[in-house]
Amino acid sequence: MKRILLGTLFAAVSINAMAQAPGGPDCGWGNMLFEGQRGTPAHFLASTTNGTSGNATFGMTSGTNGCSTNSALTYGGKSWIAMNGMMDELSKDMAMGQGEALTTYAVVLGVAPEDRAHFAAVTHEHYQQIFTKADATAEDVHTNTIDILKNDPTLAKYATQA
Amino acid sequence: MLKRLAWLVLCVCAPLYASPHVDNDRLQQLANSRFWISIGHYEAGKLGGWRSYVDDPKFFLAQNGAHDPKAELAATLEAIYRPVTQGQENAHPQCVYPSRTRFLRDELKLTDLPAVDCKEFNKWFSDVAPDSTVLIFPAAYLNSPSSMFGHTLLRIDQADVQANKTALLSYAINFGAYIEGSDNSILYAWKGLAGGYPGLFALVPYQEKLSEYRSLENRDLWEYRLNLTPEETRRMVEHVWELKQIRFGYFFFDENCSYRLLELLQVARPSLDLTPQFRLTAIPTDTVRAVKEAGLVEKIDYRPSRERELLSRAEPLNHDEQQWVLKVSADQKQMQSADYIALPKERRALIQDAAYRLERYRANGQERDPTSAQRSYELLRAISTNPPPALEIERPGLPEDGHESRTWQLGAGTRDDKAFAEYGLRMAYHDLNDNAYGFPLGAQIEILQLKLRQYEDNRWQVQRLDLATIRSLTPRNELLQPWSWQVAGGLERVLGKHGDENLVSHVNGGAGGTWKLGDDVLGFAMGTVRIEHNNDFSALVSPAAGFNTGVLWRNPLGNFSLETKGDYFTNGEVRRNISLNQQWELSRNLGLRLSAQRDFSQLTSPVNEVMLELKWYHY
Repeated sequence: MKRILLGTLFAAVSINAMAQAPGGPDCGWGNMLFEGQRGTPAHFLASTTNGTSGNATFGMTSGTNGCSTNSALTYGGKSWIAMNGMMDELSKDMAMGQGEALTTYAVVLGVAPEDRAHFAAVTHEHYQQIFTKADATAEDVHTNTIDILKNDPTLAKYATQA
Repeated sequence: MLKRLAWLVLCVCAPLYASPHVDNDRLQQLANSRFWISIGHYEAGKLGGWRSYVDDPKFFLAQNGAHDPKAELAATLEAIYRPVTQGQENAHPQCVYPSRTRFLRDELKLTDLPAVDCKEFNKWFSDVAPDSTVLIFPAAYLNSPSSMFGHTLLRIDQADVQANKTALLSYAINFGAYIEGSDNSILYAWKGLAGGYPGLFALVPYQEKLSEYRSLENRDLWEYRLNLTPEETRRMVEHVWELKQIRFGYFFFDENCSYRLLELLQVARPSLDLTPQFRLTAIPTDTVRAVKEAGLVEKIDYRPSRERELLSRAEPLNHDEQQWVLKVSADQKQMQSADYIALPKERRALIQDAAYRLERYRANGQERDPTSAQRSYELLRAISTNPPPALEIERPGLPEDGHESRTWQLGAGTRDDKAFAEYGLRMAYHDLNDNAYGFPLGAQIEILQLKLRQYEDNRWQVQRLDLATIRSLTPRNELLQPWSWQVAGGLERVLGKHGDENLVSHVNGGAGGTWKLGDDVLGFAMGTVRIEHNNDFSALVSPAAGFNTGVLWRNPLGNFSLETKGDYFTNGEVRRNISLNQQWELSRNLGLRLSAQRDFSQLTSPVNEVMLELKWYHY
């Protein structure tokens, strides 16, 4: 299940002409605290047309999703957290020990409902080992998370994936 | 000649792939069915006949498909029987038009359709895994009154999204203008209004839309979970596939995002009849209301904007603590200072959190800046060792329960000693005094307002014609210092020679600040400029500079305002005005307003005017 989710979401990363990020010039991250950046969009007038600037996207069907990789699954959990804004959300939620992005991360990693509170507590406790620096990449964060999970008796079983 | 030959070949070949013979009446009946009309996006023409909103020949299989639902149906029936070409399955009409195919197969009991493996569509559909639908409405942002018109989109949830609370993994169906290249802002706005851009559907991660509205535009989001069944949701998403890269016209007022989404809901549940009420304009709030009145809404969730979260977090902090927020967000070393550590731990948790949110708020829309990222990271580290309690934000009034958008006005009053009646119509939307529920205090946007006045001697005159009036009074506080601004243009009556009322054309604008004077009281002060064409003046256009200040008070009766303004023209004319308005909110869609004003001019003696006006907000 988790692999499917990761693949799906990865494929869903849309082409956003304004987004730039590691993983390729058009692999979306957004206006990030963590590595990855986004130009200032002219969004003031965007509300008149609610337009999609650049390529109109259609989920996975745009074929190339902008992130340079050959295989969706090799990205592992990074696919989701690499999306626009998610690193920011996740870092905030993990620092606080709660929040929607943190829950989503648990779900994407396949953590069972009964272990999600524990997952939140453990990742919160080890926040500074997971987000080690201001320019940490999604890959760093994911690798560090897996390392932390490995050392927790309850969560170790979720640390298996690529 | 060649062309004819090709036609001949086509005609000869057509029967070879044996689409069934369906009699004419049955075809006509199917072509008239609601579902077929919906998925072809047809509307009944004003002079009879049909026209499709789709503005893209590749959507139609019949040559006159855009105007002839029946021809399109017949062409589709023929097309889905086309032989399957190895390696080109995805281009087969059955794969391009899954919704049409299902409809015809079910209605005509087509058992002999060629089997096609629609890999692309199946993969897409199973990835999206549609199960339920949520209507998303980003509410207005005070400092950008044009956002009051809002936007709507649909979120498609997978089966476990509610249980897992993973809406961040859902997709959003968004209809918007497709903007290419590098049009400048003015051209952009104009083309958006006038229909110069095509409209396209896009399916994007919901999370992306969330950050766009909550962070970049600082708009609260309302999520209306609809009671569409999984089957209905799937039917709709199946049809969305048919709209991939298909161009529609896009018009700001009517053929906009909200109208298109209503059409989709009718595809999901053909018994719905939502679009006919919105032939002229489809203002998103009104469409939300229509969806709600159709009994589609099951549950409403609210997501505050980032700005609201920041302000709520800072709200319980006193002056000193707010100063700490500013200090700590600018320099994280302050968190080690003895004075700071002396603060209670719980207060520090709030301060750090507010400082982090402020820092992110400031970084909003900016290029990533390593020093700002470093500051945010330091704050997060501090937060991780001393986390604040979760933010509890009270849900504001539902936007769809606010007054309706068009306003009819009937007033009676006296100007000096002359009595008059006044008749007005405003197409949209809200001014500072209007019934307040569901609207932010201090935001005004009016589009197209006409007021006619009838004096007691049965003299009629155009009192004013406003093209647009926008005012944004966003209070400044210790953490955020937004500008307040206003623009307006149109025709209005001003004091002229001998006490006449001259109809002048004008454009004016202003900028300044607004401050919160009490719980429900705002005070504002702005500098203004004005350009006017006035027959009393010798120049064709006369510029003026001036001021506009006032207070706005939300009281139990309604909104009260008292304001003064002055225009100092370069030609020597000085025009000043003081006015007082109190709205009495009778019901959601009815209000009574008392206005009193005194006008001063160099050209004549001051004039007083008092008016009582009934306002009926009626779509």
